[in-house]
Amino acid sequence: MQASAVDIRKVNKYYGPFHALKDVDLAIPPGKVTCLIGPSGSGKSTLLRCINFLEEYDSGEIRIDGQLIGYEVPGRKMSGRKLRQMRRSIGMVFQQFNLWPHMTAKENVAEGLIRVRGLSKSEAETRAAEALTKVGLADKMGNHPARLSGGQQQRVAIARAIAMEPRLMLFDEPTSALDPELVGEVLNVMKALASEGMTMVVVTHEMGFAAHVADQVAFMEKGELVAVDSPQGIFHAPKDERIWNFLRTYHERNSF
Amino acid sequence: MFSIPVFLQSFEPLFWAARYTLLISGLGIALGLVIGTLVCAARLSPYAPLRGFAAIWVSFLRGVPLLVQLLVFYYTLPVIGIDVPAIFAAVVTVGICASAYISEIWRGAIAALPRGQAEAAVAIGMTPRDTWTRVILPQAFTMSLPALVNELILLVKASSLVSVVGILELTRASQAQAATTFRPLEVYLAAACIYLAINLCLAALGRYLEHRTAV
Amino acid sequence: MEWSILEQYGPALLRGFGVTVLCWILGTIFGMALGLMIALIQRYGPRWLGWIIQAYIEVIRGTPFLVQLFVLYYGGPLIGLRLDALPAGLLGLTIYGSPYFAEIFRSGFRAVPHGQIEAARAIGMAEPTIVRRVLLPLGLVSSLPALVNFSIILTKETVILSIITVPELMYQVSRMSTETFRYLEANLVLALFFWALVETISRVGRRLETRITKHLIERT
Repeated sequence: MQASAVDIRKVNKYYGPFHALKDVDLAIPPGKVTCLIGPSGSGKSTLLRCINFLEEYDSGEIRIDGQLIGYEVPGRKMSGRKLRQMRRSIGMVFQQFNLWPHMTAKENVAEGLIRVRGLSKSEAETRAAEALTKVGLADKMGNHPARLSGGQQQRVAIARAIAMEPRLMLFDEPTSALDPELVGEVLNVMKALASEGMTMVVVTHEMGFAAHVADQVAFMEKGELVAVDSPQGIFHAPKDERIWNFLRTYHERNSF
Repeated sequence: MFSIPVFLQSFEPLFWAARYTLLISGLGIALGLVIGTLVCAARLSPYAPLRGFAAIWVSFLRGVPLLVQLLVFYYTLPVIGIDVPAIFAAVVTVGICASAYISEIWRGAIAALPRGQAEAAVAIGMTPRDTWTRVILPQAFTMSLPALVNELILLVKASSLVSVVGILELTRASQAQAATTFRPLEVYLAAACIYLAINLCLAALGRYLEHRTAV
Repeated sequence: MEWSILEQYGPALLRGFGVTVLCWILGTIFGMALGLMIALIQRYGPRWLGWIIQAYIEVIRGTPFLVQLFVLYYGGPLIGLRLDALPAGLLGLTIYGSPYFAEIFRSGFRAVPHGQIEAARAIGMAEPTIVRRVLLPLGLVSSLPALVNFSIILTKETVILSIITVPELMYQVSRMSTETFRYLEANLVLALFFWALVETISRVGRRLETRITKHLIERT
């Protein structure tokens, strides 16, 4: 058994009196795709954002390749510098893309390489061009985000993340803000990334993607991690009634 | 009776004075930008005393009429032993007053940016400094350009008040001319036309910037 | 400042304050009335009238209040408009404020969802009734914060009336300071006074807003 890429242990998170994450335990295997599913408000996005410490967890431990993130030791926060160092190797893709509208597609991708990795401008632009070609946007490099479709914007955002050569990629509902006909192009890029052996954690409502691409699926409800299993196990032999209820509502809403 | 020749003749000497109106409002907005940026930084800083000071600064300058500010400043300078030309006092007062409004314009623009913009920068490991200078400020600046042009229009109008401390800008010059020609209607209307022309140009600039950033 | 000065000038200052408040209240009321008329004409009036009004708005918003006052007070008599300082000042305030009030009302009306007006038409209400019963009440409520805001700006503009010798507070303070040579102290006190006044009005205004809009906020 290989060591986990991400090891989440007994993580708790509160928003005031609201208990958002309850003793969550989860191991993310390296080189595999883990999908987080569950009803909205179940804490799956919060959990994902705790992995790169965009959201601070209150207790428990999250280790990336064995190293604790966010805290020096439990209870004492790590320095901003060290945290940035760790975040460099964790790529993140947001629901709202969050591309910087004042930069072209290429500049969006190159920005991190220049400012964070310290590459020269020309080197960064070469790498940015490579990353954009990989997501199929070689012909859109000079466009500003406002001139791109939602699907293209999200692919630029993925290129921005992979150009940093991360060891781990986090996807926060990457297709939820897209028109239905644009979802496919983004999922295809993600599938290609998965087949290259990228470690991926994906919060998604696309059950098809979870069923066919994921290596493991985690189901969350009300801040609790209810089950972690193979897609087969979650979708065809759910052991928990809550999963069954969730899937039934999902199917009812998506059938006609 | 309103006389068109007198009206037309009034323009020429006023054009000269209008340059001072432009100078005072132009330097005023430049100074206002510098101080306003500092005040805004103070308002957003993590240090409570700094925030409090900036809040009082903004509240005072927005609560006191510019005319009163002008006189306070004008009469304070000699008391603390500073002997400067009145026009300097005028520019500084106009600039300080503008700083309060400009600080609020910045603050509004920064608050209007979606949170995700900064998050995306933080997630790839950018320093807070790079996040501000590369992601937040460039966007906030473009967003506030129309509001800043609007502030400049307000300053052009407000600069008419410095006539009370004897600076020979457009309003003061028209007062002087009205007193010598005994044709206040024509002279003041001519002055109004010049103000209007300046401000219509600025308003057009503002619309152009708004249109350009909207794309 | 010595007490004797206050004793000597107290009554004049009080009178000045009274005139300031009078100018502020009447200026706000008249300006709002004219502004509302303008906004309604722009919405329902003939197009040519709308253009004339648009030109009026541009001219008033593009020129300084002080110059408008000069035209009115010193230029007016040449075309037979002879007014004392106070009425001239009030007329000036009304004219000066009207385009800003009109703009506030206009965007307030725009904020009324079209469906609200269609709903009134659908039950057969006549246009004037719709204006009175639907457009005005809803539009006014959404204009309220901006109205309070601009009314505060008008408070500050009243000091400019002192330049055409309207005997309001600033006029009295200037007279006092020229006679006593206490320029700085007098203006400093005036500044603090206005600061307090504006802060108070805006606080009261905010409270008023929450009270009036309370029933419109959906409970969640």
